Parts: sequence; structure tokens; C-alpha cells
Amino acid sequence: MKDTKESFVTEDGRHIGSVIMEMRNITLRFGGVVAITNASFDIREGEIRAIIGPNGAGKSSMLNVINGFYHPQEGEIWFRGKKRPSLRPYEIAEQGIARTFQNIALFKGMTTVENVMTGRQLMLKKNFLWQLLRIGPALDEEVVHRRRCEEIIDFLEIQAIRNSPVGSLPYGLQKRVELARALAMEPKLLLLDEPMAGMNVEEKEDMSRFILDVNDQYGTTIALIEHDMSVVMDLADRVVVLDYGKMLADGTPDEVQKNQAVIDAYLGVEH
Amino acid sequence: MDGLIYSILGDPFVQMWQMPDFFIQVIWEGFVSGILYALIALGFVLIFKASGIFNFAQGIMVVFSGLTLVGLHALGVPAFVALLMTIVVMYGLAFGIERLVLRNLVNQPDIILFMATIGLTNILIGGGQWIFGSETKSMITTELLIPTGSSVWEPGGGLVIFQHIDIAAAVIAALLIVSLALFFSKTKVGRALRAVADDHQASLSVGISLNQIWVITWFAAGIVALVAGIMWGARSDVSFSLQIIALKALPVLVLGGFTSVPGAIVGGLIIGVGEKLFEIYWGPLLGSGVEGWFAYVIALVFLLFRPQGLFGEKIIERV
Amino acid sequence: MFYREAGQFKTSYAEYLQALPLREDKVGIAIWLLLAVFYVPFFGLPGLEYTFAMNAIMIPVLIFTITALGLNILVGYTGQISLGTGAFMGVGAYACYKLTTYFPDVNIILIILASGFVSAAVGALFGLPSLRIKGFYLVVATLAAQFFLEWCFIRVEWLYNYNPSGAIEVPQREVFGIVVTGAAASPATRYLVVLGILIFLTIIAGNLVRGRIGRSWMMIRDMDIAAELIGVRPLRAKLSAFAVSSYYCGVSGALMVFLWLGAAEVESFDVNHSFLYLFMVIFGGLGSITGSYMGAAFIWTFPILLKELGKRVFDIDSIIMENVSLVAIGMLIVFILIKEPHGLARLWQLGKQKLRIWPFAH
Ligand SMILES: Nc1ncnc2c1ncn2[C@@H]1O[C@H](COP(=O)(O)OP(=O)(O)O)[C@@H](O)[C@H]1O
Ligand SMILES: [Mg+2]
Repeated sequence: MKDTKESFVTEDGRHIGSVIMEMRNITLRFGGVVAITNASFDIREGEIRAIIGPNGAGKSSMLNVINGFYHPQEGEIWFRGKKRPSLRPYEIAEQGIARTFQNIALFKGMTTVENVMTGRQLMLKKNFLWQLLRIGPALDEEVVHRRRCEEIIDFLEIQAIRNSPVGSLPYGLQKRVELARALAMEPKLLLLDEPMAGMNVEEKEDMSRFILDVNDQYGTTIALIEHDMSVVMDLADRVVVLDYGKMLADGTPDEVQKNQAVIDAYLGVEH
Repeated sequence: MDGLIYSILGDPFVQMWQMPDFFIQVIWEGFVSGILYALIALGFVLIFKASGIFNFAQGIMVVFSGLTLVGLHALGVPAFVALLMTIVVMYGLAFGIERLVLRNLVNQPDIILFMATIGLTNILIGGGQWIFGSETKSMITTELLIPTGSSVWEPGGGLVIFQHIDIAAAVIAALLIVSLALFFSKTKVGRALRAVADDHQASLSVGISLNQIWVITWFAAGIVALVAGIMWGARSDVSFSLQIIALKALPVLVLGGFTSVPGAIVGGLIIGVGEKLFEIYWGPLLGSGVEGWFAYVIALVFLLFRPQGLFGEKIIERV
Repeated sequence: MFYREAGQFKTSYAEYLQALPLREDKVGIAIWLLLAVFYVPFFGLPGLEYTFAMNAIMIPVLIFTITALGLNILVGYTGQISLGTGAFMGVGAYACYKLTTYFPDVNIILIILASGFVSAAVGALFGLPSLRIKGFYLVVATLAAQFFLEWCFIRVEWLYNYNPSGAIEVPQREVFGIVVTGAAASPATRYLVVLGILIFLTIIAGNLVRGRIGRSWMMIRDMDIAAELIGVRPLRAKLSAFAVSSYYCGVSGALMVFLWLGAAEVESFDVNHSFLYLFMVIFGGLGSITGSYMGAAFIWTFPILLKELGKRVFDIDSIIMENVSLVAIGMLIVFILIKEPHGLARLWQLGKQKLRIWPFAH
């Protein structure tokens, strides 16, 4: 991977842009526990960036820092060329960052399509008065966005469960609905926290395909956490390795796999 | 304006200073009602710790037990036999609740269980009034050999009156708390209960089923309710209007934290003393009756700054 | 058997997003409406004496349906438990009383609808803590509202125009020459006014819960953290729920005093009433508009019918029957929570589904 700020095209013809998010010297503490220590890395527009590391390494915490659920004690976050002030999560959602969760966080009282529709909340603009009348522009708006949601549902091949309450769906499908909900936000940057955890091989393949398609078709930048190294090797353009909150390595999948520190600390244990 | 500030920040303290005997009396009264609040809150904490259930019916259990005791005595049962029978009734209640309600609601969301305890409240009120009648009754204080006289203390020419009932209430409450503490730390069942409070799997390794644990905790909460019912009944009367006062255990819990026994006690005393002081010294500024809401508003303000209560652990949210 | 989804093709999403997508549901509602508008005001309820049917059953049931709708928005749709409903109704009632004192010539129906806004403001104020306080802790916050407001209804004499009895007494008011409030108002008039307001508020509630705002409520209810990470502003969502909910409660409180009781004191708004309304919502179905109707109707009429039954058939004292019905309602609440935590509305829905696929078993 080139080190320049300019955009370029990868060997397989994908368009990688300039840096859109940069984490500089992030340190995050919970009381005495240091979850992340002085970590720095960047994410380029259009790339698939993987974050790997053993359990408790601080990966989820890193995503939580990116989307504003946790606020690091030290460090700076640069987003689209500007230093980002401390913001509430909903403000960060407004900036176009969406995510899925390690432990599924769907809205259990709603159906699949309703869950996906929640991803469009920020795009529904009609005010309270229109909402209570629910005619004309308010209804049109609802219809337009509803249609988009149906497209996403088709894209992820979950039409069959469109009107099922999500609570009763199998785990793999719930993960997919969560992805659909995040996609419905049409994010610039999509954060995926272990999207394939607990899935069988087939489901993993499906999910990998969806992730690649999303990246390909919508040009969405993706940062994902994943344990399965073969999946990471297939998907990721670059990989960050965390261990006990510290950065061990940062580079292409090949580079990372050859890195001695990584082999000792992480790959050595896993394989 | 100055006059208002003085009457809020100056005058009450001057009064306290000038009439120390009255001040002590107010504190004592507050202390005793605080103990009773603490007792109700304690029964609540027992259940919440063991099963995570917000038992709204705890306050009603206080009234129900008191009513059962008095009602049985009115039927001609000797006082102490009636007391024993009431204990049996409270056990039956715990058993019935576990069998008919809790067992069928395991793994339901907390809010559902909470609402079930509100339903339970209705059943206990209706049932209690149905069986024992809805008129106000007086507690069988002397029959239970609870002292009823009073002692006078004259510090520096002043006058403070201590009702013996109140002293007895304080002593009995203290004994109850000590014996509960001993029960939890010294007996096998008690330790199992503590284990289950920390980790539901743990109970299985101790060899006690979750269902048994629930019966035991609800029974323990019932005993605490009975003691509170007797003491409260002795101070005023036994009637379902007590239910409103029993609700004050909720702000006490908020102050103390839902899972902390010391929290329930300290919270109870703070609320008890605080609301008496407020009623007596600041109440006249607002018109009387502020006792009715003071506890809740204090709890509310307190919550805004410390949502987990005095002794509760900090709530950490994760995703 | 006529209840079939098949064959009704939706040609557009707009149709799909209707409140009642099925033709059978539309017909059903139309029949209920026709009965409510053209039968009940003239004949009451079959088998019951007319004024009893109107004053003891129909009018209060409709009013409490509004309350239940409001409370359901807060508890069922937004997941914030409240035990302050009684007091919020009181705010609406006292606000209505003050407003009509100052503006005696303004249409009383407008005043009733306006007094809901006062209660909405108070509700939002007491909803503020919900931002930091969650779950059972919030119950305590709403109890603070309940008891503080109750105290105000007694101590702030201005609220009841310094009436020595401490009660508010409803003056006579006319709309287009028809007496609507006060002793001279006919049950049919009062009933129709309440019905009109109920229908209006039901449509609004239905619109809100199906759109952006209702979704933000349910997101907060189901998983508030995820909601915030998706872009819902918790403050806005919760306060709007408190405000809308309290608006409904306020309007129903005003209706309760002005079109039903005729006079009221603080007892009409006490915490026991708050429990009653919560029961309506639980029993009818959390997060369901139909459930609010069913819950209000059931919880209100059940004790009355039980009492009548006891009196007429078994000759049992009405005080005993009151206790019996307390026990029965408590048991029914526990029972429904065990059998179907989503209440009567869900049972009704399941029943309809069975009907839809009849005679095929699955
Ligand atoms: N909200 C929190 N409060 C306290 N400690 C936390 C919190 N979130 C994460 N941690 C701690 O930070 C560390 C990193 O956790 P996490 O980011 O979830 O790891 P990973 O996702 O890499 O498995 C762990 O030690 C975890 O216990
Ligand atoms: Mg993680």
C-alpha cells in the first residue's frame, strides 16, 4: 500500500481515495483499566480496513471511540480533514458514520423492515405537524424511504423475513438485518463489529460477499473487526493489530501476517 | 427579598438553635420514621438482590401482615399464637407467589415482573380488606408486650419525650438487621442467597434451587414486612392508607441504591429525618403537607447527580 | 372465514402504509363507528338503563381510552414507566378550569384541547430527569411529580378559585347554543363531544406511532444506546413522548371533570388512579392503540359489571364486591402477563390471524 495522501487504484481495480479518518495517539481508560494505549492509524476513503486482535484488545472500544460512544482521554480524531471536537453519538451519526454491534443491538419490538427503516430516521425531515397529519409530503417521504429500505432488503436477500419480528430470527439473520439497518443510513464510513462471529462457513461467505458488494457498489468505506484470519486476508486492504490496547502492527494483510510481533502475540496463539 | 432569604436560610436555623430540645425531638421523630422506611426498603432490597425483581408489593406486604396479625387476634387467637400464625401466612404467601407468579415469569423482562408485582399489590389489598374488613384497626401492642409508656429527658431545662414504642421500634429494627446480617454471613442458606445475588449459576453449585431461593427471600422480606407492620401499626393504626406512606420506601431505595442493605438503612434515616426537619422548619413557608412529596423530590434531585444511588455501583453502559 | 388477506393486492407503498391495510378491518371499524355515533347516543347499551349506560360506562370509558392512549405512548411505545398519570390529568383539569374562568366566552371544546398543552409542558418538565434516570428509578421520578402536583392541587388555592371546599365546580358552557358542560348538559351531547375528541386523538396517535416520531420512541424503548448511535436524540425523543403523552392525559383529565364528574377534588387525581390507568395499558396491550381501547373498556367496566352481578344475582354487599374485583383485576393482570404479556390486543390479533387462514390449520 502506498504511503501518499493521493488516491490510487489497487491491483484488482478498486479505487482508494485519500485519508478520511485519522486516529492520532488515542488513549482510552476506564478507571484503572487502560483499554487503548496511544494508538494511531488512518482509514482511507473506499478501503476495507480491518482491526484485529485477541479478546479484550480494545477493538470494540476503538469503534466506540470512532462513533462517539466513548470519549478518549488523550488523542485527536481527524475526520475529513478536520479535527473532530467531542461530539454526542447522534451527531456523529449525522456525519455519516454507521455501525453494527458485536452483541446484536436490534430493536426487538419491531419487524425487519421497521428496523431497517430506523436507519432512515435522519433523512426524514418533515416536522411534527406533518407527522401527526401523515398526509401529503410526510407520507410521500415515508413512501420514498420505505422503497429504499425494500431495495436494501432485496440486496441483502432477506425479503422472506421482511415482516417478521426480529427477536425471533436466527442469529445469522439478525446480523444481516443489522447490516441492512446500517446500510439504510447510507453511511460514508461503516463500522462492523465482528459481523461474522458465530456464523457457519456458508453464512460467512454470504456476509463476505455482501461486505465486498457494499464496498464495491456504493463505494462505502468500511472498518471491520474480525477474528477469522482467512476472512480478513480476503477482505481487507489494510489491517491494524491491537493487543492489550497497544498497536502491534499496521499494514497490508501480507505484511501483518509476516510481522514477528504479531505472530508471537496473536497469530501464534490462534494457529 | 432579603426577608425571604432570611426566612429560608436564617430563621429556621435560629429556631433550631434557640429551642434545642424541640430540635432534638424533631430529629428523634424523624429518626424513628426513618427506621420504618428503612425496614420497608430492606425487604425490598432482599428481593431485588436475590432475583432482580422490583417488588412493588413490599409496602402492601407490610400492611397485609399487620392486618393478618390484628385480624387473627380479633378472632380470639392469643397474641403470640397469632404472631406465629402470621409468620406461617407470610411463608404461605411467599410460597404461593413463587409457585403461581414468579415461576411462570422467569426470563421475562424486568418491566413485566414489576407490573406483575403491581397486580399482586391489588390482590393483597383486595384480599386483605375482603377477609379482615376495610375499617382501620389498632395494633395489639400491649398484647405483644411492647412497652407503651414514655420517658422524659430534660436537657438544660428543655423537654424531650421518648415514646417507649419508638425506642422499642429502634431496638427491634436493629436486632432484625443484625440477625439478617448474621443469617447472610453465617448460615449455609444465607451464603447461598448471597451467591445467587452475585451469580445465578452459583446457586446451582451450592445445591439450592433457584425456586427455593425465591421462596426464602420472599419469606425473609415477608418477615421484615411483618416487623415493620407491627411497629408502624403500634405508632399509628393498621389500615391500607399506610400504603401511601409505604411508597416512601421507593425514594429511600433511590437514595441508598437498590442492592445495598446499608444503603437502605442510611437512606431511610436521611429521608425520615430530612422530611421531618423540612416539614417543621421550612414547611410553614409553603403551607403544610410538604412531607408528602419531600422524599420524592429529594430523591429526584439526588438521582440527577448520582443515578446509581449512594452506595450503588456506577452504572456502565456497553455495546 | 371472510377474513382474508389473499386477493387484496397493494398497488403502492402508500396503500401498504395505511393504518388498516385490510378491507375487513376497515369494515369492522366502520361498523363500530356507526354504532357509536348512531345507536349509543339514543339507546345506550342493550340491557342497561340509559343514563347508567351513558354516565357510568360509555362516557368514562371513552375518556379513559384517551388516558390509556396517552399513557401507552409513554409506557408502551417509549418504554418509560410512569406513575404520575393521575396528576397529569389533574393538570389538564385545573388548567381547563382556569382557562374557562378567564375566557368564559371561548368555545369550551377548544379550551379543553388547549388545556392539554399546559399538561404537556408540565409533563415534559417532569420528563427531563428521564434523560439521566432509567427504568425503575424513573418510577420514583414520576411519583415525585404525582405527589408534588397533588400537593399543589390542595395548597395553591388560586387553582380552584379560592373555593372554600377546595373543589373545582364545572360552570355551564354552551357551544353553538347546545349546553355541553354543567348539570344541564345531556348525556348524549357529552358523549358525542367525548367521542369526537377521542376519534380525533386516536387518528393523531396512529399517525404519530407509524411515522418518524413513533419510530424514535420505539427505538428508545427497545435499545436506547443503539438508537442514539443511529442518530436519535434521546432528549428530543423522550421529551416528545412525555409531552404528547401528557397532552392526552391532560385532555382526558379536563374531559373527566368537565364532561363527566362535573366537579372534582384532588382525590380524583391521586396515585391510585395512576395505577388504574397503568392497568388499562398493561391489560389492553403495551404499544397498541387497539389495546388502549380494550384495556380502558375492560378495566373500567369489569368491576361495575361484577358489582351489578353481585348485587342482582347473589345479593352481595357492594363493598365486598369492590374488594372481590380488586382481587380479580390483580389476578387478571398477573394472568395476562404470564399468558400474553402483550395483552388483549395481541390475543385479538392472534384470533384474527387464525380466522384469516381458516379453515387451514397453520
Ligand atoms: N464501558 C467499559 N467500562 C469498563 N471497561 C471497559 C468498558 N468497555 C470496555 N472495557 C474494557 O476495555 C478492554 C477492551 O475491551 P473491548 O474493546 O471490548 O475489547 P475487544 O472488542 O477487543 O474484545 C477490556 O478490558 C474491557 O473490559
Ligand atoms: Mg469486541
